Amino acid sequence: MELKNINPFVAAINEILPQFGFSNLTQKEFTEKSKKIIASGVVLTLGIVGDKKGNVVYTIDKDGAKQFASTMMMGMPVEELDEMAQSALSELSNMLTANACINFSKESVNVDISVPTLLFGENIELNLNKDQITCVAFDVDGIQLEVCVALV
Amino acid sequence: MGNPRVMIVDDSAFSITFLKKMLEQVGLDVVATALNMSDAIEKAQEIKPDLITMDMTLPDGDGIACSKEILKHLKNTKIVAVSSMMDEEIVEHAKQVGISAYLQKPVDQDELKATIEKLFAGEDLYRLLQDHYEEAFKESTFNFLKREIGGEVAIQNYELKFKSGRKSSGVSVSVGIIGRHNGRLIIDMSADTALNMVKKILQDDNQTQESAIQFLGEFANVIAGNACSLLNGLNRSFGLRVSPPTIIIGEDITVSIGDMKNTSFAIKTDLGDAFMNVGIQKGDSSWS
Repeated sequence: MELKNINPFVAAINEILPQFGFSNLTQKEFTEKSKKIIASGVVLTLGIVGDKKGNVVYTIDKDGAKQFASTMMMGMPVEELDEMAQSALSELSNMLTANACINFSKESVNVDISVPTLLFGENIELNLNKDQITCVAFDVDGIQLEVCVALV
Repeated sequence: MGNPRVMIVDDSAFSITFLKKMLEQVGLDVVATALNMSDAIEKAQEIKPDLITMDMTLPDGDGIACSKEILKHLKNTKIVAVSSMMDEEIVEHAKQVGISAYLQKPVDQDELKATIEKLFAGEDLYRLLQDHYEEAFKESTFNFLKREIGGEVAIQNYELKFKSGRKSSGVSVSVGIIGRHNGRLIIDMSADTALNMVKKILQDDNQTQESAIQFLGEFANVIAGNACSLLNGLNRSFGLRVSPPTIIIGEDITVSIGDMKNTSFAIKTDLGDAFMNVGIQKGDSSWS
């Protein structure tokens, strides 16, 4: 499995999440998907252009997303995935992806990112139109976060 | 702001003459020149230029140390490195001391102009984008639909019921917009509308949902690409590019609009209606 496109994201997650106070990060196995991703909960997708082109997709289940947003907002209770919570999650995806970009640049790969698109629902089918999508899941203080990278 | 006042720092008198001519041709005022580091530091403090072009090799030091010293006292001055040497290490050093951009000699006049515009026109450029993005996306969408599916096509501004998001009609596509300022395009329609459109375009009734999805990705890609070309035509410093589309399919999906500046459109065609939202956000890095 080709991991050089996903490793900068793995490093970004390991660097950024502890800064927000997440303490237990367990990385799971890398998996490979083709063209489609099926997810439920909250999905954040960002476009990437430059020396590599494609998309990154972050998925978190709905309760996990609320916990994430709450931790990002210094423990403020998050009952609903309201505008504020959505904004916090968007900002997190932006930070993770920007950090991954810096990691890419250390390998002399220069890429820029778009603003994130956030969506939520059940049985969301994401079509990235790439034969190879590399994914990795994390357990972040009990919250399941998955990142999928489709870059060429 | 008015015309930026420029100082040129270079150990070569020839390069100074050459850069001075180039800068004046793009409409800037060259107010000082310096052949070495100590002269540069002294003149910079005295004149307080808006912009300094900085050679990396100087007889009594280097461009990095010289820039560092100058920026200690002049927080608003922007420095563009202009040097024959350009490798990752030196560019990284330049960034660290606060140099805003790096150009390699021989300098291309268009590149120099675009770099300076980028540094000074961030605000103006964002205003220009704000003023024109709606029209650009409307025009590229209208042109595509009129040409590819024909019939009646109407695109109207649309007020969202809930500012934060909108329920998908079945198929959504998101395309990232990346450049001096960033954004994203969302188009949403029902699976039936997408299927009707692809049948019409390919003039083949045997199309499947799979090809409708492909079509929607391409549709979003073309209109975002065309709109960005129109905007880049207004000012090449936008440098807008589009990322590949992500297509989202599902019965019960809410697409968040986010808290960026955005506009929604209702698209009406003979084959069904669609929703479009374009959001833009100010970029801030002079290195991007």
